[in-house]
Amino acid sequence: MSSQVAFKNIKEIPPVDYYTSGRRTCAGCGPAIGYRLISKAAGPNTIFIGPTGCMYVANAHQFLTSPYAVPWHHTQLGGGGAAAIGVASALRTLMLKGKRKLEDINVVVMGGDGAMADIGFSGLSMGLSYDYQRLLYIIYDNEAYMNTGVQASSTTPWGATTTFTPAGKVKPIGNTRLKKNMALVAAAHPKVKYVATATLWPPLDLMNKVHRALNAGGPTLIHVLLPCPKGWFTDPSATVDLSRLAVETGMWVLWESIEGQFKLNYKPKPRKHVREYLAPQGRFSHLKDEDMEKIDKMIEEEWKFWEESAKLGRLVVPY
Amino acid sequence: MSAIKPIPPVAIEKPKAKVWNGARAIAEAVKVADVDVIAAYPIRPYTGIMNSLASMIANGEFTADIIVADSEHSQFEVVKHASAVGARVFAGSSGVGLAFAAEPIIVTALSQLPVVAAIGTRALDDPGNFGMEWSDALMFRDFGWLISWAKTVQEAADMTLVAYRVAEDRRVLLPHFIALDGAAITHVATPVVPVTKQQATEFLPPYRPPYRIDPQDGPVTKAQHIAPSLIGPEQRKTIDVAQKRSKQVIAEAWKDFAKYTGREYPPFLETIGMEDAEFALIGMGAYMKDIELVASRLRSKGYKVGTVRLRYVRPFPAEELINALGGVKAAGVIEFGYSFGSPFGTGSLYHEVATSLYEADTKPTLLDFLFLGGREPTVEHFTQLAEKVIESAHKKPQKKTYWLTLRGEDI
Repeated sequence: MSSQVAFKNIKEIPPVDYYTSGRRTCAGCGPAIGYRLISKAAGPNTIFIGPTGCMYVANAHQFLTSPYAVPWHHTQLGGGGAAAIGVASALRTLMLKGKRKLEDINVVVMGGDGAMADIGFSGLSMGLSYDYQRLLYIIYDNEAYMNTGVQASSTTPWGATTTFTPAGKVKPIGNTRLKKNMALVAAAHPKVKYVATATLWPPLDLMNKVHRALNAGGPTLIHVLLPCPKGWFTDPSATVDLSRLAVETGMWVLWESIEGQFKLNYKPKPRKHVREYLAPQGRFSHLKDEDMEKIDKMIEEEWKFWEESAKLGRLVVPY
Repeated sequence: MSAIKPIPPVAIEKPKAKVWNGARAIAEAVKVADVDVIAAYPIRPYTGIMNSLASMIANGEFTADIIVADSEHSQFEVVKHASAVGARVFAGSSGVGLAFAAEPIIVTALSQLPVVAAIGTRALDDPGNFGMEWSDALMFRDFGWLISWAKTVQEAADMTLVAYRVAEDRRVLLPHFIALDGAAITHVATPVVPVTKQQATEFLPPYRPPYRIDPQDGPVTKAQHIAPSLIGPEQRKTIDVAQKRSKQVIAEAWKDFAKYTGREYPPFLETIGMEDAEFALIGMGAYMKDIELVASRLRSKGYKVGTVRLRYVRPFPAEELINALGGVKAAGVIEFGYSFGSPFGTGSLYHEVATSLYEADTKPTLLDFLFLGGREPTVEHFTQLAEKVIESAHKKPQKKTYWLTLRGEDI
């Protein structure tokens, strides 16, 4: 059940959208493209929960339009994990007590990296410890608090300049914390049925993972890397290319864990140097060649563990 | 005007009284209210309510989902969203737990979701303190929550059912706190006549929210980020209107509650001996029992002392209070909450009473008595403060605010 593929090729993607016009996201917004693909894969019987973040504020509009063609409810920045439990619990209890007809309804939280990896971390962990079915936590990770003006979060990569971690004369690197691996954190919850990483490329990989997660029979999480032209200082037309380069340089590893079974979805052969991914991004423009080499070496080291995990069929923690 | 339809007589069931503490009594009321989703997180003194509910659910006494949350913040997020989907919900907390949950608590009111929650009132940290204070509950007086305050365990249980009825009324749709004085209500066992399942079902119609977050109701978008220029003040006005409307709904609900259970309560103010009173003692909660005792003793000595107990802080019954205090020479507000640096250093209940009296034709001398930091007051303290109030009628008091401190120099 959980390894099923919903969409074999691009032509099978339904033309109907549940995340449509009526928003004011930036040109080339990665999370917006992600929202569109994720909601297509989830289908009409879905409730979206939107913790505060870009996908809250930028999806609103001056004239009270809404981009959502399915039920959608805001929750507080740190409330995503618990809000989804509230929705899932209400649906299940009302069905159990005969107060609502029996039906499969997806509950999907679209939480940013700040909402899920920082302020809402505890609530997310609580959510992943329950056994509600069709409950999917999406971390749309654009690697900083972009809506508030590009401040570092705990998923901001080493070496990125943000307004809270600017590269300066005394501190030349910018952000010196290492990116938190939220998919690994999610996989440490024994009730979790499905954990995956994804990005905009390949798009079918993202959509099929959403489909698998919602059919996995328990709480699930997909950590999705989504480029942000505003905070990454990139050309709006480069969003999907950057997703692809993140995968091809090994900077973003596509994997899934289906009831504890590890599967590496893509192994770059040969792996491109990380410079190809970093160089087009303004947030890394202060990095010297040696810094980029350092990042490339970190990727090299980390990949040994991913390959080991692939060989064993279960996760080996790389840090 | 059309003729008022006579209410058909209802055969009132008279169940046997049980000996329950406040926590258990509230849990029993939640049970007969057929609550669907409960979220729990432990903090004294309210925790006992959740212990009771968890055990009832584990033993199959009723069907509800109890979520063991990771924090009070999550607890109130859970019930807020379950309520938005169409479930009847229950939560609660005490002291700093409420402070931690402030964000979802505030949002729940501004989102107009009829969550019902119990507060076992407790002193806020620092230093950690299990004593009773009101400042945790009164933190939330400004955001749209309805707040009622119980004097007895019986009233606490009855208030729970009335709270659901009022909160879920389409004319109101506001969340509702039931404040229980920590220890004095939560932990004290007294005889309680339970509301039966049948009484509850007849009194409390099923919860039907107008716009559910449910695919059955179509693509509802709720709490969208807005442009202040478009509906900013209008949205706030809806809360104001709901608070104002709630007064009538509360009065109706208590009238109806008496019809089904035979227990009558005045909706907003309980006044004792106020018909000819020259002096009034104003307060809320469990200690009013002691204060009423003090008033009756003073009456037997010839002093015309009455008591005014507020059953609701939100909506605040200002007109009722003005009426009750008409003709009074001096009054004292007795409270367990603070508002440091406020005018005359009084507590926040005093502000509410004084604001109301500003509109009165005759204004009594008004004193404030603060019992802070959780130390339990005694009948002796209440007697001393009542004497201060009596004295203030003919001798200008030196100050407005009196404290109970270690050395007792104020009272």
